[in-house]
Amino acid sequence: MALLDVRELEKRYPTFTLDKVSFSLEPGYIMGFIGRNGAGKTTTMKAMLNLIHRDGGQVYINGRSFFENERACKEEIGFVMGEFDCYKNATLQKITDVTRRFYPDWDEQAYESYLSRFALEEGKKIKELSAGMRVKYALALALSHNAKLLILDEPTSGLDPVSRDDLLDVFRSVIEDGSRSILFSTHIISDLEKCADYITYIKGGKVLSSTDVISFREGYRLVSGDREHLEVRRPKLIGCKEHAFGFTGLIRAQDAGAFAACKIAPADLESIMIYTEQEDGHETASL
Amino acid sequence: MKQLLYKEYKLCLVPMVPLFYLFALMLLIPSYPYQVAAFFTCNSIFYLLKQASLNGDTLYSAMLPVSKAEVVKARVRFVVIVQMIMFLLMIPMILLNHKLYPGGNPAGVDGCVTLLAFVLMVFTVFNAICLPGFYREESKIDKLFLFSVIGVFGWIILSESFMIAAGAARQAVPLFAWVESHLDCYPATDGVWIAQLIALAIGALIYGVGTVLTVRRAVRNFEQVDL
Repeated sequence: MALLDVRELEKRYPTFTLDKVSFSLEPGYIMGFIGRNGAGKTTTMKAMLNLIHRDGGQVYINGRSFFENERACKEEIGFVMGEFDCYKNATLQKITDVTRRFYPDWDEQAYESYLSRFALEEGKKIKELSAGMRVKYALALALSHNAKLLILDEPTSGLDPVSRDDLLDVFRSVIEDGSRSILFSTHIISDLEKCADYITYIKGGKVLSSTDVISFREGYRLVSGDREHLEVRRPKLIGCKEHAFGFTGLIRAQDAGAFAACKIAPADLESIMIYTEQEDGHETASL
Repeated sequence: MKQLLYKEYKLCLVPMVPLFYLFALMLLIPSYPYQVAAFFTCNSIFYLLKQASLNGDTLYSAMLPVSKAEVVKARVRFVVIVQMIMFLLMIPMILLNHKLYPGGNPAGVDGCVTLLAFVLMVFTVFNAICLPGFYREESKIDKLFLFSVIGVFGWIILSESFMIAAGAARQAVPLFAWVESHLDCYPATDGVWIAQLIALAIGALIYGVGTVLTVRRAVRNFEQVDL
């Protein structure tokens, strides 16, 4: 049974629509949620948690409807929306004292170990923490109540590379018993390369792809070649960048045969995202 | 609910709330519209809401394992507790007021049980305007407070004017004479006690029903809000 099952989630704004977003996540895996700024990642996460009023769709946590069992489902979820930005004049100790009371499975030992691992001092006020430390505090809270599902909106932004790497280790250790999962959005694609098992890619409010990372990568190829190879093959390019010596672009794996005369390489996540965002109208970027 | 009330106490309570209880001492002022003392409790609740808004309290609360409706109900319950403490503090002040000024209050309703009923009306008007609006668009809390002030002082001016008019025209209008002798005086006889306790019961009923309706509207508004 899926730990998280999002079905046809809809939210309509005057200038943006979250269009029947669906994906699911089994226990024991990390899913990266990617897309450009404004693609609908945060809107999806907020709609999943009833923080914004949805216009349609359902969310199931461990088989239970979130909207019909909000309290019980939220107890099983750790949610982080970037840095902790509330009660800036309150100390961490005071906020934790309040927060822990809401979670029957609060693990004080785990909380203290995360405080120590993230070098957080409980006596400090929120306003005294840097942006990165506020993210770490939000993560410490989310990780300390034995949540089955962690939903993290850009948890690594604002962190230095060492802290990011440490955090990715934490993510791996969280899911290693096979009972917990993590959904996290990020713009730092290299983080996903290191730890994600699945990718859900959203563009303009629609899910373009939701699959395991290997299948996702295998679905695409990077090609590069001379300019004379470009014109006749342009319709098959998802996106491309032209330069003085030719072009580099992204194609679907099944179209590789048409580019036999070109240099073909496996596609990385970042390239897939960059070129896919050019897909509408096959616009090209000249260098 | 207990946890949410604890959160209100630990993270949302502002110093103005206990500090403004001192305005109960206004009942010791000779010749004064004593309902104004209750307004200052409403004022302190405005500061509580304003600070909660600045602190990102609504988003924090909505992310906790509680429903949006529970967030609203806990806040309203906390507001009611704040108001009831002021209500209770006014009782010894009324007793003192009578000791100090046995001749009554020429500036409006006397320090008596009827004043407590009027105080509940002040709270009802404030809650009905301020709280549902806060859960529709908390960024407009200043504007909401302005509307609440207009509503509360509208009630105070109307009710106090009525009591002053009743005192002035009691010889000419029998109803005013009854109001003056039964509602606008310190209760000394059984008849006056009964009349004023009925007034208090009506005030309590309006406050109770008003609070329930306020919660319903605030929950409905908050369910539609995108955080």
